[in-house]
Amino acid sequence: MSDTAQLVVEGLRASVEGKEILNGVDLVVPAGEIHALMGPNGSGKSTLAYTLMGHPSYAVTGGSASFAGTDLLPLAADERARLGVFLCFQYPTSIPGVSVVNFLRAALKAQGREMPAREFLRTLSAVMRELNIDESFRSRYINDGFSGGEKKRMEILQLALLRPRLAILDETDSGLDVDALRTVAEGVGKVAGPDMGLLVITHYPRILEYLRPDVVHVLHRGRVVVSGGHDLARRIESDGYDPILGAGTAGTAARNETKGAL
Amino acid sequence: MATQLQTPGAIGPEAVTTRVESACAWLAARRRAAWEAYTALPMPDRTNEDYRRTDVSALRPDEFVADPGETGHGAGLLATLREMRERIAPEAAFVAATRNGVRACEGTDPLLAQGVLVSSLEEAAERDEEAVRRALAHVPVDGSKFTSLWNALWRGGVFVHVPAGIEARVPVIAAYSAAGEQAAVFPATVVVLEANASLTLVELQVSPAAQGTMLSDSVTVLHLGEGARLDYCLLQRWSAATWHLATHRAVLERDSRLRFFAATFGSRLQKAYWDALLEGPGADATLTGVCFGGGDQHLDHQSLQAHMAPSTHSDLLLKVAVRDRAQSVYGGLISVDRVAQKTDGYVQNRNLMLSRGAKASGIPMLEIQANDVRCSHGVTAGHIDDDQRFYAHSRGIEPEAADRMIVRGFMQDALDRCPHEGFAEFVGGVLDEVVAGHSAAGVEAEAPA
Repeated sequence: MSDTAQLVVEGLRASVEGKEILNGVDLVVPAGEIHALMGPNGSGKSTLAYTLMGHPSYAVTGGSASFAGTDLLPLAADERARLGVFLCFQYPTSIPGVSVVNFLRAALKAQGREMPAREFLRTLSAVMRELNIDESFRSRYINDGFSGGEKKRMEILQLALLRPRLAILDETDSGLDVDALRTVAEGVGKVAGPDMGLLVITHYPRILEYLRPDVVHVLHRGRVVVSGGHDLARRIESDGYDPILGAGTAGTAARNETKGAL
Repeated sequence: MATQLQTPGAIGPEAVTTRVESACAWLAARRRAAWEAYTALPMPDRTNEDYRRTDVSALRPDEFVADPGETGHGAGLLATLREMRERIAPEAAFVAATRNGVRACEGTDPLLAQGVLVSSLEEAAERDEEAVRRALAHVPVDGSKFTSLWNALWRGGVFVHVPAGIEARVPVIAAYSAAGEQAAVFPATVVVLEANASLTLVELQVSPAAQGTMLSDSVTVLHLGEGARLDYCLLQRWSAATWHLATHRAVLERDSRLRFFAATFGSRLQKAYWDALLEGPGADATLTGVCFGGGDQHLDHQSLQAHMAPSTHSDLLLKVAVRDRAQSVYGGLISVDRVAQKTDGYVQNRNLMLSRGAKASGIPMLEIQANDVRCSHGVTAGHIDDDQRFYAHSRGIEPEAADRMIVRGFMQDALDRCPHEGFAEFVGGVLDEVVAGHSAAGVEAEAPA
């Protein structure tokens, strides 16, 4: 299973409201690996996340994306989720009137993992304790009135409960203080395992110090232009993106190198 | 329409005569005066501000039967209402009425032992004349076309009178039902709470099936004496072919507190007035509605929060979801008299439109004559939020289930304000069914094909 449950993105192009944002993305995330996706503002990182999850506002205009051998592109978001794809939202949406418990139970049920109420509550309590989330959140409406940090922890809570085969974290570390960042990163670290591929979109290398990615990719103008090891993230931290991105030709060269590395 | 008037028991002078003959003297006089006023008043049309957005021009009251004679429906209707009692509050005293008057008055012993009177309104008109007259004075015989008709023709009815200082031990359920084509039913609920008394009252107005053309002309009077506390819950689930014209009038004396909760699912057309008259200083009224409409339903709520004394508080929340071609109309007025300083009044009407053809509009108004008050209102109308949808989908929840969850969530804050747990659960269950696509009207509603 683990060797076939991989995300394969080839030449993916996508646009929002007629504007092309993804310009031929190539990316492979095998099960059991942690890949980081970095890149300057506006490079298309979040667009890639939404496009892979199947957001209806993002139109795929070319290329392919598959997971575990299944073409993702014809599938609706809920079908992709049931296939095992999970998106940790950068800005999680609140649904007033729907409690955390009811939302999570509905999600588990949809994924064919309905649990008896007691077992569910026990599991939920355990995960909440690990993520430092107060029990009172169970009956609160999902993300409604939550602080930024609470929302992010709620995303990780869902990640831990739903146990997807591919998790895409869209800037889950942004807006967190150092303690919350550690809690979240450790939470992700616990969930990650040989059966899960992890694509961590981030601006900041700090979360990568916790997660220790196998591969770091840099997205620029809608394409993956450089890929490397963890040290690539450290180089970006110290020198910025400019020396890496350089001129257009350097980008192309780097991309070829990436392909070779994979 | 002469042929219609010959229908036995139809709304008309003969039906009024029958009512007058069976009433005690003061009530007979009231009925006669009311019928006169009714015949003199024009049918409300679009020139009437209250009916500008709600069209009752096709209603022909004289085509509806007020006195059906023995219908054979009674036992079935009672069984349905008793079943609802079991689910909402099995311990409650239970008074059930059909077109032929009060058919059951059960479980009243614990209340009678406390001195709480629970009976048919007709009976009370004789036995507790003073209290009934005082309460009915809030619904003048010539007040409006449909309250006049009601005053002339109501039958049976439910009366609850809680003496001073008594906290009613069990809730009262006042239940109304009718069946048969062209049935005219006149629910009549009168509640009088003396000083510092308290009570929970649940009113049910339901058809046993989703079909059947009916007329429901209904009046509820709630009189709260000084310091009294009333929790009132209403379920309106008439058939989808019912004309429903309702007036709920609450009068609050000093420091009394009303929690009013109404769930509206039924009728083809509803015009419902919710009037809270805050007559005494410190009076406090919370009014809450959940309303779900589908098909061709037209559901109109019109509220009045009348602040007539200082330091009064009112808070109204009406949550509405409409689908198919259903239409919701809301109009609300907060009025503040010159003396009513330190008034705190609030109105919120939130509408969710689930289909392209569904419509909802709310017009809140403020009329403030005092200068030290806090009053505000908010109206919104929108569709299901696409971001909420995508968020639920991204967790694997199928689109239909996601929409159901979001709509159900939309109603939750109103449901959370329901003062009676059993009723809240019951209404929550109805909402689940209705949101899942079942017809909102009638208690034995069937799933759409």
